[in-house]
Amino acid sequence: MKKVQFKSYYSQYFFLAPQLLILLIFLYWPIIQTFKDAFTMQDAFGFGSQFAGFDNFLFVFSDPSYFTAFKFTIIYSFVITLITGSIGLLLAVQANKVLHGKNVYKTLLIWPYAIAPAVVGVMANYFFSERYGLLHHLFNNMWGFNWYEDVFDAYIYVIIAGSWKQISANFIFFLAGLQAIQKTVIEASIIDCKSNIRRFWTITFPLLMPTTFFLIIINITYAFFDTFGIIDTTTIGAPGSETKTLVYKAYIDGFKGLDLGSAGAQSIMMMIIVLFITIFQFRYIEGKIHYN
Amino acid sequence: MKKLISIFVLLVSFAFTSNSYSKTEIHWWYGNSGFLGDVIIEIANRFNDSQDEYMVIPTGKGSYEDNMAATIAAFRAGDQPHYSQVYDAGAAIMVAQVKNGVVIGFEEMAEKYGISVDADNYIPGIKNFYADGDGKMIGVPFNSSTCLMYANMDILNEVGIEEVPKTYEEFEGMAQKILDAGYIPLLQSHSPWIWTENFFSRHNLLMTDGNNGYDDVPTTTLFADTEAFVYHWTKVKEWYEKGYYGYKGRAWGDNQAPFTNGEAAFWFGSAASFGGMKGVLPNFTTNPIPYWDSVTGGKEYPTFIGGAANWILNGHTEEEYKGLAKFIEFMGSPEMDLYYHNMTGYAAVTKGGIELAETINFYRASPYHKAVGDQLGLEGSTIPGGYRAGNWPQIREVIYENVEPMLNGDISVEKALGNMDKGAAKLLKQFAKTL
Repeated sequence: MKKVQFKSYYSQYFFLAPQLLILLIFLYWPIIQTFKDAFTMQDAFGFGSQFAGFDNFLFVFSDPSYFTAFKFTIIYSFVITLITGSIGLLLAVQANKVLHGKNVYKTLLIWPYAIAPAVVGVMANYFFSERYGLLHHLFNNMWGFNWYEDVFDAYIYVIIAGSWKQISANFIFFLAGLQAIQKTVIEASIIDCKSNIRRFWTITFPLLMPTTFFLIIINITYAFFDTFGIIDTTTIGAPGSETKTLVYKAYIDGFKGLDLGSAGAQSIMMMIIVLFITIFQFRYIEGKIHYN
Repeated sequence: MKKLISIFVLLVSFAFTSNSYSKTEIHWWYGNSGFLGDVIIEIANRFNDSQDEYMVIPTGKGSYEDNMAATIAAFRAGDQPHYSQVYDAGAAIMVAQVKNGVVIGFEEMAEKYGISVDADNYIPGIKNFYADGDGKMIGVPFNSSTCLMYANMDILNEVGIEEVPKTYEEFEGMAQKILDAGYIPLLQSHSPWIWTENFFSRHNLLMTDGNNGYDDVPTTTLFADTEAFVYHWTKVKEWYEKGYYGYKGRAWGDNQAPFTNGEAAFWFGSAASFGGMKGVLPNFTTNPIPYWDSVTGGKEYPTFIGGAANWILNGHTEEEYKGLAKFIEFMGSPEMDLYYHNMTGYAAVTKGGIELAETINFYRASPYHKAVGDQLGLEGSTIPGGYRAGNWPQIREVIYENVEPMLNGDISVEKALGNMDKGAAKLLKQFAKTL
């Protein structure tokens, strides 16, 4: 067969152009704008714009609720990563064992992944409604649940709302990871070791490490950014500003408060945080993982 | 080919039909939804039916905040509507935009395009709220509400209370009785609006320095420095602990729901809330919001205007503004004013509308509508009829953020109010830099 080759050197740029254009318009242009906003002081309509140096950053750092949001975001992403990862793994291992009706389990467990976070939030709203919420009544009978004013209860509310859907994502990837493990390895290990649990921790789980690592990043990113719709439809950051994530705070200040300078500075802070988390993960965690 | 030609013919004929009917379009963006949004659409429809030169196209953008953000984004993109509804908390931002040529003031518009409705035709309190420092009306008064007390008369009858409380002292005296009968004595739907901003107006107290921002750009709020305000929240916290007052989070509806379901005796909400309650709750009344007798010495003062005004945005053609002028005239007519007042419960904003209501004995037929005008019409206030403080939407957020830890006992009342002042001062300073 004859290899098709383009004669012109420039044609590659032609084919790349649409992609690059999309990246430029939807990624780089907003980033440039964000930097511009972060270093200028302007009114809501964009007038009176003047260079502000690091004033917007100082403003953000002098705001106690920024640190509350920071604290919450860290706790939230840690807990969500842990909960969704472990439950997802447990379900995947169990579903992988099932012989009959495997696909039914699989499909049902994957479904929630298709639901938009805002919709999940609205559903959680029903479960935690003081008037007719099942979970609200359950927890209320257990210890007097009141998320309007109790920080711990509000955490439970947004963590349950935020985890539910993400468990499905973890399930899918863990299941795929489990199915990719070679049968021969498993069979060999059965001969060597009788204990199911030990086999899992010494053979299966290490082989799942690449998937786990991938999911940790995915889950943290999810808790950082995608839970926006969940917070907005559940607690809206209450009580106080205890359940505001960094993204949600930037949104409130930028779009409701119309302070683009502060929102821009917060976005840049967020970029830096995510950058550090990612570098940390690739440097220190990935080194310990063996890809086959 | 035949198919293509016929499609082409069809398209061309469509183009011509729409052309022959083309009217000058005027875009009106609003931030009400549900029933209130339907009424806005109805107003536009009535105007469109009343003449055939212009067509008002109303577009709902969600909440007040959403609409304001959408309007600003549209302006920055050069795609702004002609007319947009912006709420009380955004008034300072909009008035400040006249000098930048974003907003056209009502009086300038009236002069240029001959609107027969005069600024003085709007009732003074409402006119002043949307006026600039020189008293020139900028925003066009539209849905003007204030906070009112709703009372469930069935509950009051059941526990043997004959008169609704006029003062907080009276309320305090009857709360235990209501609680003992198994009802929530009091709920309210908006801590910053009802129990902060309108606490100050109701008691004739200044809320910020610079004469509420009317004389000078404000630099700080006076929350912790106002003894009466500290006293009020100390009491509220006490009531909360005793069960006299129930807090159901920040959502307006969550605080209203128990009252609408007949589980609470009193609820503080907006004058425009009654529409949703009529026909649901059998026996309720609307009353002026209580005040502390010990603070005012028995005197009553008017509350601020809440709700929103419509603002004229720059950047359109002469012909379109002529149409908008017609529309403003239409909405300012006594009939439309009273129609809106009747449908929604918002105050009648024109003198003509109020006269018309009196002529037809409107309030005898519908006593619900009376409280809002009574409360706003009170006289004797020595403070301005509003506040000119920028970044106010964020300051409201700061208020909420401190009310919750105060109620749950994490911080003291003094500390919470001090935090509010600190947070507000920072935001006011930030706003002052953009002026």
